[in-house]
Amino acid sequence: MPYLKPYKGQVIVGFVGFFGARFFEISTYYLVAEGIDAIGEMLSELPAAFPYSVGEIGLFIVLTVLLRFVFVVQARRAFRRVGQQVSFDLREQLFASVQQQGSDFFSRIGVGDIMTRAIQDIALVQRLIAFGLIQTVIMVYAPLFALSAMFVKSVSLTLLILPLLPLIYIYAQWVATKMAVTSKAVQESLSELAAHTQENLSGIRTIQAQAQEENEIKRFFRTNDQYAGAFYEQARIGSLMSAWMPWLTALSQLTIIVYGGHLVLTGVLSVGDLIFFLACLNMLLQPIRMAGFFITLVARASVGVDRLCEIYDAPAEIVDQPSGLTAASIQGSFDIRDLSFSYPRSPHPVLSNISLSIKAGESIGIVGRVGSGKSTLLKQFTRMLDPPAGTLFLDGIDVREYPLALLRSQIAQVLQDPFLFGEPLRNNISYDDPERALEFIWESADSAALRGTIEEFPKQMETLVGERGVTLSGGQKQRTTLARGLIRDSAVLILDDCFSSVDTETEEHILSRLKQLRDGKTTILVSHRVSTLRHTDRIVVLEEGRIAEQGTHHQLLDLDGIYAELERLQTQGMSPAKPAAEPV
Amino acid sequence: MNTITKPENANTGKERDHAMFDAELSGAVLNFHLLKRIVSWLKPYRIRLLVSGVLVLIASFTLVVMEVVISRVLVDYIIVGDANSVMPDLGMIEFTRSVETLFALPPLYAAGAVFFVLMSLSAVLGHWHRLTLIDAIVRALRDLRQDLFSHLESRPSSFYDRVPVGRIMTRVTNDVEALYEMLRGMGSLLGEFVPFLVALTIMLSTSVELTGILLLLVPIVGVATFYFRRATRDIFRRVRNSVSALNQYLQENLSGMQVVQLSQRQDRNRSEYTRINRENLTQEFKSIDLATFYGAFNDSLASIGLGIIIYYGAGAVVQDAMSLGGVILFTRFMNMLFTPVVMLGEQLNVLFRAMASGERIFQALDWDEQIHEPEHPKQLPQRLAGKVEFRNVHFSYTPGTPILKGVSVTVQAGEKLAIVGPTGSGKSTMIRLLGRFYDFPPGQIFLDDIDLNELHSRDVRQRIGVVLQDFHIFSGTILDNISLGNEQISREKAIAAAKTVNAHWFIERLEQGYDTQLVERGANLSQGQRQLLAFARVLAADPEILILDEATASIDTETEILIQDGLRKLMAGRTSILIAHRLQTIQEANHVLVLHLGEVKEYGTHQELIAADGLYRTLHELQFQDVVLDKDGDPIID
Repeated sequence: MPYLKPYKGQVIVGFVGFFGARFFEISTYYLVAEGIDAIGEMLSELPAAFPYSVGEIGLFIVLTVLLRFVFVVQARRAFRRVGQQVSFDLREQLFASVQQQGSDFFSRIGVGDIMTRAIQDIALVQRLIAFGLIQTVIMVYAPLFALSAMFVKSVSLTLLILPLLPLIYIYAQWVATKMAVTSKAVQESLSELAAHTQENLSGIRTIQAQAQEENEIKRFFRTNDQYAGAFYEQARIGSLMSAWMPWLTALSQLTIIVYGGHLVLTGVLSVGDLIFFLACLNMLLQPIRMAGFFITLVARASVGVDRLCEIYDAPAEIVDQPSGLTAASIQGSFDIRDLSFSYPRSPHPVLSNISLSIKAGESIGIVGRVGSGKSTLLKQFTRMLDPPAGTLFLDGIDVREYPLALLRSQIAQVLQDPFLFGEPLRNNISYDDPERALEFIWESADSAALRGTIEEFPKQMETLVGERGVTLSGGQKQRTTLARGLIRDSAVLILDDCFSSVDTETEEHILSRLKQLRDGKTTILVSHRVSTLRHTDRIVVLEEGRIAEQGTHHQLLDLDGIYAELERLQTQGMSPAKPAAEPV
Repeated sequence: MNTITKPENANTGKERDHAMFDAELSGAVLNFHLLKRIVSWLKPYRIRLLVSGVLVLIASFTLVVMEVVISRVLVDYIIVGDANSVMPDLGMIEFTRSVETLFALPPLYAAGAVFFVLMSLSAVLGHWHRLTLIDAIVRALRDLRQDLFSHLESRPSSFYDRVPVGRIMTRVTNDVEALYEMLRGMGSLLGEFVPFLVALTIMLSTSVELTGILLLLVPIVGVATFYFRRATRDIFRRVRNSVSALNQYLQENLSGMQVVQLSQRQDRNRSEYTRINRENLTQEFKSIDLATFYGAFNDSLASIGLGIIIYYGAGAVVQDAMSLGGVILFTRFMNMLFTPVVMLGEQLNVLFRAMASGERIFQALDWDEQIHEPEHPKQLPQRLAGKVEFRNVHFSYTPGTPILKGVSVTVQAGEKLAIVGPTGSGKSTMIRLLGRFYDFPPGQIFLDDIDLNELHSRDVRQRIGVVLQDFHIFSGTILDNISLGNEQISREKAIAAAKTVNAHWFIERLEQGYDTQLVERGANLSQGQRQLLAFARVLAADPEILILDEATASIDTETEILIQDGLRKLMAGRTSILIAHRLQTIQEANHVLVLHLGEVKEYGTHQELIAADGLYRTLHELQFQDVVLDKDGDPIID
């Protein structure tokens, strides 16, 4: 466990603390036994065997109890804190690891999956350390103290009890395995129940529209009853353990009563010794009962550690190896030379032999159907996806030679999916630099036709978005992310279909502002709409990862190919191949 | 002006305010009314509960008796040979004696036999008690969950417009779960209090004085428990908050990782995460310190009692007020005295949580919004002609803000009507009313000249097929999603429907075809494919009337053509009402209704309306996107 290394000191405190705690605990029992014997001796008017009075013994008992208290608190606290500290470290490491990852990693391990690992697996490790360390220590110390004390008192009685211990251990182990199985079943049926409810209520309109309520209620009963059944089964196993564990313990007590009683009657043991045995038995059995849980915990936690290591050990997806030969700022010309790209573990190339030159200051429109490779192409520019070496050049130098930070800070890219953070609008717009002056933020909101919307919110720029704040419409979200891109006023701006939910009128408004703002700077935008594309200097039509057509709006119309067909569909609303049928 | 709700429903309007769902519920201390209501679900299982109660009484009583056998029978009677008749032994000494004579056993073995019987009895009865108790609780909560679900299932759309599903969800899962904790805890508390009371009685009858001294320790535990619970409630809340802040920040960063990387925010975000992480660590440390201290404190207090017993017991024994076994009995009883007090403290917390959960559950059960159904609904013929008439329809969701202001339009059987209008014009409301998703006064909407209010909503909905914008996909196979559990739709019929509306081409290309599992929300289907699937679903159900709320999102052109063609086939022979956003859809309609601010502005064919050069022409120029128009019909650009 290399994670424990920084906390060596605390671990030692724990070990020493528990040693003391067990020592004083057994001393208490010893003193109680002596006390009982002292009383017995007073009763039979025998001379006292123990050199202290009952008053003093009572005092000693209190003293040992207090000392145990001090040691136990220190020891437990130390171990539990170590557990939390390690999970702190694990979380830090996780956060740093995922920041280096790209789309391939996230397609392999989804966000939900990473979250589960961050929450559950780290919690498992934490419990293993906090609970597990304590358990290990107790497992070592308790038999050490209890057994040796018992052996000193009576070898034969101790030997008689010993065979019961493995029995208890085996039973505990069996229950723990069984519990793990049933609790998994409960977890599964619970999440099924939750999913069923969630899905049903989200689709309630559909269900009601199809008058399927009765049917759904019946279906729910099956899920519901299944969950109740799984839950009952888990409780049954738990109850079985609550019944047999004390029974097995009582069996050892029975041994002490009958054989120990015999030893007392024959004068080998005192009454106090008998009571001492009963107390030691408790101390001995408690960790054994827990051992089963400890073992399953170790097993589960080691799976958890494996799952975490899968994240920690994943190499950074995009390797940042600046050659040092690149300029500190970019002009914004691109040269794509025979670029082909396919995703890992996929045999089909998404981009095939793309060659395209983009002059600094030019505006390029890209169009193509879903899956034609538009977004994939755009992500090459900022190395969100890594282009093969020697295929993509920025200002004449391979993009792979630029420092990643420089590349991404000088090229602003607005993604297709308008992602907003649960923060105020101003932070969302000025996300790259939260310290930017408010007037700049307003200015870019203005350019993205967002000013009016924001001014309607009572808190204006401080309006919180997302779950805990206001819910923005699709168009408003897109305009916010657009403002986030515009505010950077970068040499290159890349817009990935980010007007799709913005109405045409507003879009026109934004595009005309964009023309002014981006004058002399490179802009690349993807859109489905001809009305958007026509504003660009040059349009590239992608089809199945290849450039099918390119030219100005008018050139492409004259070409009478894919683009021209698209234009007809969108402006006349019908396909010449399939004229609208006459109304019936 | 007409409003929707029946008067008896209207008065609770404030309770249904959205804020209500966020508000921390009163956090009531102990609400017996609530408790009674929770318990009412247990009623059908009261025999089980009774059996369980009797069993726990016996089982926990035997636990006490086992201690008596050790101290009084073994030590006093057998070892010391002094039965000390002043002290109670629950008749165990006498009983052991009879076992001796009956089976001719030496006293030690007789005591052992008695002990063995007791311990087995306690184990078996205890198990039986827990099983019957759990059985009753699990069943009762299953029923509660079922009732809750059925109740939610029949709430009208207006309800789901306001209440986020996530909030309702937790009531069905987590809140019901919290009740289990409480009911189970109450059951086991009973099992702890019996030994407590029996032990206390025996102790009191042995030595009032010593018992009195020891009892002084109990309030200390009680007070400590009380303060500890209060302190932990606070700290646990802070721990929970810091954990959820931690998770939320991580989740957000994961989901928006591309934005983070493109904005070069990695370092800044990492240090923010470290800050949240450290805050969590601080709170966790505090909670550890408190929990550790409290746990050890309780253990120690019981042990300190041992010292007192030895010291005091010695004096009592000498004066012959107690036997040696009596002293031992006291030491063995210490735990029985303290456990229930500690548990009670724990249960109090569970109880508070359960009260809050109960309150949330019953709040959900008390949502009584529903669609008014006629007492004697008229029966519809086997097949409707499909004429739909809106006759001077007035409607508002909230009093004072009318959405529809006297809309009249008739769609003849088999005709197609396109409704267009800017955002907020009342288009969606019109189709929602037709589906009887909201209540409205009679005499306004007619289906084949029958007032909609005279029909049962279920009958109406079976005749109307709705394709909504937010098409919902249920997890299950594609086939399930087409037939939606309706047994009258065979596989062949479903496939035929898919073929007709052009959904077949993409379904067939999937690896498992119609048996492909879809995930909820249909993330593995494209927008266009989902639309086609929605068409197939409606066509398979074969309703007489079709309602379509056309999706606005941009779909690639090829799929678009398939959708238009599928829609055309879907509409064939069906009365269709379309909220249209695409020119082509509108051109297919017999008539176009232009709605603005709840009023009919224009009505006619596409050509007529273009020629009229009014609002329709503006909308046409704006490509029928969902735009906001002002009173004069000019687009508002923000």
